[in-house]
Amino acid sequence: MRKFKIAIYCGEIPPPTFIDRLINGLAEKGNKLILVGKLTRKVSYKSNHVKIIGYSGKISKTFILLYYSVLLSLFQNKEKKKLKNWMELNSKYNNISKIRYYPILYNRPDVFHLQWIKGIEDWVWVREFDIKLIVSLRGAHINYTPICEPKYAEIYKRYFPLVDGFHGVSKAIMQEATKYNSTLEKSKVVYSGLNTKKMSFNLTKKSVEHLQILSVGRNHWKKGYRYALDCMRILKDRNVKFTYTIVGVDEDEELLFQRKQLDLLKEVFFVPKLGFNDVIEKMKKANMLLLPSLEEGIANVVLEAMAIGTVVVSSDCGGMKEVIKHNENGFLVPVRNSKDMAQAILDASQLSESESSKMLLSARDQIEKQHYEKNMIHGILTLYKHSYEFKNS
Amino acid sequence: MSLKTASRIGLVLPNIPNYSETFFNSKIKGLQENGFEVILFSNSKYRNVHPTCETSFAPNFSKRFGLIFDILFAIINCLKNIKSTIKLFKLNREDGLSCKNSIKNCLINSHFLSHKLTWLHFGFGTMALQSENVAEAIGAKMAVSFRGFDLYIYPAKFPTCYNLLFSKKVKYHVLSNEMKNTLIDYRISSDTIHIITPAINIDFFQPEASAQEPNSVFQFVTVGRLHWKKGLEYTLEAFAILKKQEIPFHFTIVGDGVEKEKLMFAVHQLNLEANVTFAGKIPHNEVKNLLEKSDFYIQYSIQEGFCNAVLEAQAMGLLCIVSDADGLSENVLHNETGWVVPKRNPTLLAQKMIETIDLNDTEKSKIRENAMERVKSEFNLTKQEIEFKLFYTD
Repeated sequence: MRKFKIAIYCGEIPPPTFIDRLINGLAEKGNKLILVGKLTRKVSYKSNHVKIIGYSGKISKTFILLYYSVLLSLFQNKEKKKLKNWMELNSKYNNISKIRYYPILYNRPDVFHLQWIKGIEDWVWVREFDIKLIVSLRGAHINYTPICEPKYAEIYKRYFPLVDGFHGVSKAIMQEATKYNSTLEKSKVVYSGLNTKKMSFNLTKKSVEHLQILSVGRNHWKKGYRYALDCMRILKDRNVKFTYTIVGVDEDEELLFQRKQLDLLKEVFFVPKLGFNDVIEKMKKANMLLLPSLEEGIANVVLEAMAIGTVVVSSDCGGMKEVIKHNENGFLVPVRNSKDMAQAILDASQLSESESSKMLLSARDQIEKQHYEKNMIHGILTLYKHSYEFKNS
Repeated sequence: MSLKTASRIGLVLPNIPNYSETFFNSKIKGLQENGFEVILFSNSKYRNVHPTCETSFAPNFSKRFGLIFDILFAIINCLKNIKSTIKLFKLNREDGLSCKNSIKNCLINSHFLSHKLTWLHFGFGTMALQSENVAEAIGAKMAVSFRGFDLYIYPAKFPTCYNLLFSKKVKYHVLSNEMKNTLIDYRISSDTIHIITPAINIDFFQPEASAQEPNSVFQFVTVGRLHWKKGLEYTLEAFAILKKQEIPFHFTIVGDGVEKEKLMFAVHQLNLEANVTFAGKIPHNEVKNLLEKSDFYIQYSIQEGFCNAVLEAQAMGLLCIVSDADGLSENVLHNETGWVVPKRNPTLLAQKMIETIDLNDTEKSKIRENAMERVKSEFNLTKQEIEFKLFYTD
């Protein structure tokens, strides 16, 4: 397959784990990667195909601004002027935009891959320079941002027709994007990929005397933890012995109050964000992973649990049903329904050893087939190639 | 009971009340009319003085240009009132504070030290934190009001925050019997806790004489900031049940706040776009007009000190359905002046809404009239004024 020069933009460097997997995978395939964004901590990649253009303070910003201004003036002055015109027309002729735009313009990638579509308005200019504009459709930005902030619905409707390729993390999200003028012809579902070979699978039956229930995810209303706590109260009323831990939530006032009001101080624990390996360790020890979300693309944490052999109870939101087949490889419950969630947890805890093994094996199989990391890289490269051809056809 | 002449009350509030904050303004006015002198203390960085009260602001120790002047000013204040400062320092030390922290505490509280007060009244429990010894240091009696958030939510995050305060000699003001019981659970003596419920302007909140045409679509309303403690997500889930049963309704949410995004998404996900309006924050007059056009008022809060909006709705003749959170079951008497539903249970709320819709006109009128009568006699400003006068008369 053709080798591309790809600029990945997600605002901050290092990017989240799932984007990092994509970067490493693309680099391993011999593609050249450019990452532009705000450096939040020091980062390095094994592959010398990854070039980082990061800024963290005034000095680095000034350096990048001066460096690329001079280079563009010397070698690509015509293009620099063209970009200046666009920036002025769109009221973006300022230093912050220059710091983000100039390195991209100078390096002139084949593909500019925008990870968070809320910023699409800032990046449509790349098409003026024969750079293909690819956008990823991920969770919140498409599922609720345009509903809660109608101005984004208008922005999407205006700019989606200019996009060369849409990467949907699920079929559901790809369909949702059509409401804002995306075209299915330019879209491709590429599921999140895991390196399953590095994730050991364990079938050992865990004790269900005292259930260990785990949720992992940032502290945000869309994660639906309020419903999970109501569900825990139902379990307690049914005399189930359990411990419920949420990793990624620490000092949330609403959840702390709810825990106290529902008398769950001895059962529910909040743990601040942990590193990937610590999360996997916790997941291995848990009887089940609970995803009470109201909205998701496809939650990576569910994929990880299925890969290592932990039963998943998930709400039926976003693209979750594209991974979980109810009663076959996990449990799926309607969103905003604590009662059904509690029942699913009980059902999961009452699986016989053979039923449990069958379900976990089926889950692992699903991940290996649908979320194999190499498939993800191949899918993304196909999208680039297709959009490249589409543009030129 | 005789009222001491020229009693000076220091009222400690997070902000100086602006024109629209009727509760504190009517309280201040009432006290002044009864011969009390009121001094306001605030730690707000917006230094707007109150039109009728002397106002004193806490030093601002946040890192900024001008910090040095605030520190100097606080030191001078402490030195000018050296007796009170030394007393405060000693009391802090007796409470186990280190020498350094005791000095810091004197500086933080330096704006109180020059005032000779009869009462130092902290308007919220949280306002008394780190100022537990100030009243004694300046020779004043100490009063603390609890209003809901400070008694129920703040301690969920900081469970031991009131340990020191509750060890002091304090006269407590709470809004409901429920709150009194909560304080008693903290081993506060019942004699020191006084219930003074909120009150509303009953002359303003009364329906126009002409009866409204009945609505063909049932009009529900709720008024309050969009905060998780208002339980609006549960409320919307109850409305989703009504919608499934094809009951014609419209629900208007008055108020604004950080939860709007979450609630808008809930409206979308629950397929309620055609049935719910976010009216935003609107002036009192418009709230009154909206209440007048509505049939039912819903306050399905998770936590609520008492809730003036429910009093206003009752006064306007709306049928009120509320949760049993804290003071709400004293605000609305179940089956007498409205209905009280267990909190966090949308199914029960929906059930009660449907039952209420199905009541005949006589039953509805009875509840409505009971509520209007009770609010008029129990929750008027004159009654509240007398109760506060008694509160400060020892």
